[in-house]
Amino acid sequence: MTGPFVGHPVLRREDERILRGRTRYLDDIEPPGAAHVAFVRSPFAHARIGGIDAPDGLAGVHTVITHGDLEGRVTDLPVQGFEGGRVTAEGHPVLAGDEVRYAGQPVAAVLAESRALAEDAAELIEVDYEPLDTVLDARRSEVTMSHWHKVAGDVEGAFESAAYVVRASHALPRLAPVPMEPRGAIASYDEADDMLTVWVSAQDSHRQLAGLAAVLDRPEESIRVIVPDVGGAFGSKGAPAPETMLVAAAAMATGRTVKWAEDREENFVASYQGRGMEADVELALDADGTMLGLRARIWADLGGYLMPTTAIPTHTTAMLMCGVYDIQVADVEIVGRRTNKVPTGPYRGAGRPEAAYFVECTVDVAARELGIDPLELRRRNFIRELPYETALGWTYDSGDYARCLDRAVELLEPERHSDEERVVGTGFGMYVERAGGLFETADAELLPDGRLLVRSGSSPHGQGHDTTFAQIAAERFGVGLDDVEFRFGDSKEVPRGVGTFASRSVAMGGSAVMQAVDALKEKCDAVSARLEPSVSLREIAENEPGLQASARFKSELVFSSGAYGAVVEIERATGRLRVVRVAAVDDAGTIINPLLAEGQVIGGTAQGLGECLVEEAVYDEEGNPTFASFVGYRLLTAAEMPPVVTAFVETPSPLNPLGAKGIGEGGAIGTPGAVANAVADALGGVRIDPPFSENKLWRALREAGA
Amino acid sequence: MKPSPFEYRAPASVKEVLPLLGLESSVLAGGQSLVPMLNLRLAQPELVVDINGVAELDYIRADGGPLRIGAITRQVALERSELVRERWPLLHKAIRFVGHHQIRSRGTVGGSVAHADPAAELPAALIALGARLHLRSSGGVRALDASEFFLGPLYTAREPGELLVEVEVPKQPDGAGTGFAEHARTHGDFATAGAAAVVAPGGRAGIALLGAGPVPVRAEAAERALAGGAEPREVAALAAQDVDDEHRRALCTELAHRAIEEAMG
Amino acid sequence: MKISVQINGRTYEGDAEPRTLLSDFIRHGAGLTGTKVGCEQGVCGACTVQLDGEAVRSCLMLAVQANGRTLRTVEGLAADGGLHPLQSAFHEAHALQCGFCTPGFLMSMDAFIREHPDADEDQLREALSGNLCRCTGYLGIVEAVEHAAREMREA
Repeated sequence: MTGPFVGHPVLRREDERILRGRTRYLDDIEPPGAAHVAFVRSPFAHARIGGIDAPDGLAGVHTVITHGDLEGRVTDLPVQGFEGGRVTAEGHPVLAGDEVRYAGQPVAAVLAESRALAEDAAELIEVDYEPLDTVLDARRSEVTMSHWHKVAGDVEGAFESAAYVVRASHALPRLAPVPMEPRGAIASYDEADDMLTVWVSAQDSHRQLAGLAAVLDRPEESIRVIVPDVGGAFGSKGAPAPETMLVAAAAMATGRTVKWAEDREENFVASYQGRGMEADVELALDADGTMLGLRARIWADLGGYLMPTTAIPTHTTAMLMCGVYDIQVADVEIVGRRTNKVPTGPYRGAGRPEAAYFVECTVDVAARELGIDPLELRRRNFIRELPYETALGWTYDSGDYARCLDRAVELLEPERHSDEERVVGTGFGMYVERAGGLFETADAELLPDGRLLVRSGSSPHGQGHDTTFAQIAAERFGVGLDDVEFRFGDSKEVPRGVGTFASRSVAMGGSAVMQAVDALKEKCDAVSARLEPSVSLREIAENEPGLQASARFKSELVFSSGAYGAVVEIERATGRLRVVRVAAVDDAGTIINPLLAEGQVIGGTAQGLGECLVEEAVYDEEGNPTFASFVGYRLLTAAEMPPVVTAFVETPSPLNPLGAKGIGEGGAIGTPGAVANAVADALGGVRIDPPFSENKLWRALREAGA
Repeated sequence: MKPSPFEYRAPASVKEVLPLLGLESSVLAGGQSLVPMLNLRLAQPELVVDINGVAELDYIRADGGPLRIGAITRQVALERSELVRERWPLLHKAIRFVGHHQIRSRGTVGGSVAHADPAAELPAALIALGARLHLRSSGGVRALDASEFFLGPLYTAREPGELLVEVEVPKQPDGAGTGFAEHARTHGDFATAGAAAVVAPGGRAGIALLGAGPVPVRAEAAERALAGGAEPREVAALAAQDVDDEHRRALCTELAHRAIEEAMG
Repeated sequence: MKISVQINGRTYEGDAEPRTLLSDFIRHGAGLTGTKVGCEQGVCGACTVQLDGEAVRSCLMLAVQANGRTLRTVEGLAADGGLHPLQSAFHEAHALQCGFCTPGFLMSMDAFIREHPDADEDQLREALSGNLCRCTGYLGIVEAVEHAAREMREA
């Protein structure tokens, strides 16, 4: 069977080994004689460190490492900036020096024969902390770590001449990413070869490798990064972790293989979090509802340090603040403030959910104030002609926002009524999001047996790249799916690439695969033209061994979009919220595998619903995390998931040969705005921010006199 | 998260267990509450006394009189018991809300009672049923009403040297109805609040709330009102009247109302 | 302490400290890494195995408690090269993405469905609430479990 495969719901090749328990995630790797790491972590949100006293002769302990031991061996983690703005140089230290800035920050590392023994020893290490004042509120913090501000067009003029100026404030609390597999790393140093090998549960090998090279000050060729099976990431395993750096430095310093398998408590307190932004938005409209201009001031609660990618979502949010609307006048400023909490960073959506939420909630507020139907208000202002250059600087490549909204309305079957027992509301939310960008790589090789081997710079952690990319490669090469094999994740094996984040895999990785396979096919065709047309691939390989082709596909950002709708029901007596159903319409351009794409949408929607119903990473007044376990941070279960109807609108992107955009994050981006608007609809216009707890809704119903 | 080191003993009889009890030891029954605490190092006993092998504590029987449940009876056994479902249906209703089926496979009736989480279902149900709890120590035996047993969150009247050995539930009045209602943020999660009700023909009632305060609470004023012929709405409001937070009070009232309505058929 | 545990029909012997968790013994003592560890608190369900046919959280048992007992893990779920109805159903319904939670779901629901072959969708969803998944959003899993339950009923 040689295709066509693209566009078909092909079942996954990855599944069998998972179902049979033959996977190898980081903690399944058990190097004999490895030293196991447990960290001493700060119990204080902000403190000076006086001294660290580690008793000698603790059972099974090889060594204890502190900041001083790493002097000259490591630098702080690097910090990525963004265009048009400023970030400070507050990189995260590998181990805390004389200051800790969040509870859970790693202060010392114990290497022992087992994790249990390392934890025993960690309890006995005495750290002299002098607690300092904590800052837990981004608006009130006086330390700005990132800043971006853009003004486009005549803002004052637009606001002065406007018939209406609608003001609304919104907040999205911090969320924990909670991949089912926590983080982890294993490092081994071969002194003879001067080769450092690091296994890491990560979104790709490339950023881990670049980070290790930078922090350890080693040439990249002297480091090999291997990404094994990964149990989810959602953004949290993209930037390298300080703990990974420690593991690598420890392996080099001690000559031992060193292993850190993060436990759930560590993952909750020390893995960088998502969201944590609040915005004051002003929308200027004329009498008939045409949007004239937008002003936004946004505060991002960035935590104690800038992890490599902490500042990126702030830039993304700001750049998308005009949403899907034709607004050419804008004044958007975002400040990222330091607080005594764990840093934030990219988490499914990474800045796009925040923008979509702030914009879409404001649009509904405007609709109510103007007395215009919220869908009509949107339709009057949609960008209609694409490509479209926004006032804030990005160019949306393709999209049909009106069609997405119409489809969502059709699929949702809006409902609103109230009776003695419950109030029912309906809400919609649009989104536009950036995906792809930069470049991606692929190498295609004809194996001696005539099969195709492709090495990709993309790296899967559950998305099904092996199947999706095989569909592309097999169809382009003219072979069956079984005749294509993929390699991912080992820096020694795969070409240097960019990696997996920002929903880039199909658009960038898939396009690179396509180009490499097409180039290889050309070479094979040239050989068969020389021999005879009916020659088999195996014969071609015999005739000309080692045929291969490489591709490096580069592209500007592509922009996915969509319309989400939700029907919700609030029980008057208790305030309990039930999401009755969700409609998810996404435009991710060409869909390679609709089964897998739908899986991404539903998975993302579940996270968006989690944010609306039960998730919130709360620090108490002293900066202690209340979410150190599942008791303090809940995830939705199968019992809470409503029906989710999905549909794809496909406006192909002109920016890559597949016409693809990105589908991995839409669910998390589109859902919160739709649910928030549905809740406000049920409450007669009262606006509440997530999570929509029973408590909040019950009080809102009483205040609304409903 | 690995436990601190501890000594471990697995005696086969109550007699062998008793001398091992004390402040430095923890009793391991189902492990569904203790082991997470060990793993998080919130509990660091010197000795863990595993009572899963104490076969004499594993039973459900009635013998024509009260229901007697041995302390290490698995929650799933209670769930599956025809006897309990027919004659003490409130326990059957409550047990279905305890965690998830995997928890109930190991979790024990005695463990849930002795652990005394304020959001636990069984303590509230037992209070509504007028149950008695039997304790043994090297010094002898004693029995307490369930309503006197729970003193604070995770804190009971059990002395460190005592072992909870049996839960005794009196025969219920003929024709009594039962009801159980709870709210949790997600299914199987710790309850935010809940109510257990037993209503006999003629109005005699047992009503208990969970999540209304630091311990499960017997709603005596509400019980009297119900016996006196008050409407379920009014009874429910009385049951929750001492809950200080407005929303929580409304929630408890609503859940009590549902439980009472269900019990009254 | 010396312990001997039957897992998937084979005997595994080893040394375990009292504090060694059963999940760690299965994974590192017996080398059966198909069972995963997600929380060590008994909430996520990734570590679920079957003890004498009952689904239990292996992270909430001490290895020493399994001495002389019989366990089944995901590696022992499929019969002789074929696939268990749950495994096929999960595959067909795209009920797995990263796969980390999958073994726990399979072991939990095999036990549950055998005990409750007539469970309706609500009951299945309630049973599923004992396992967390962060990738799929559960709807594929619900579909898979309904399908497998039908097949297991008819078998």
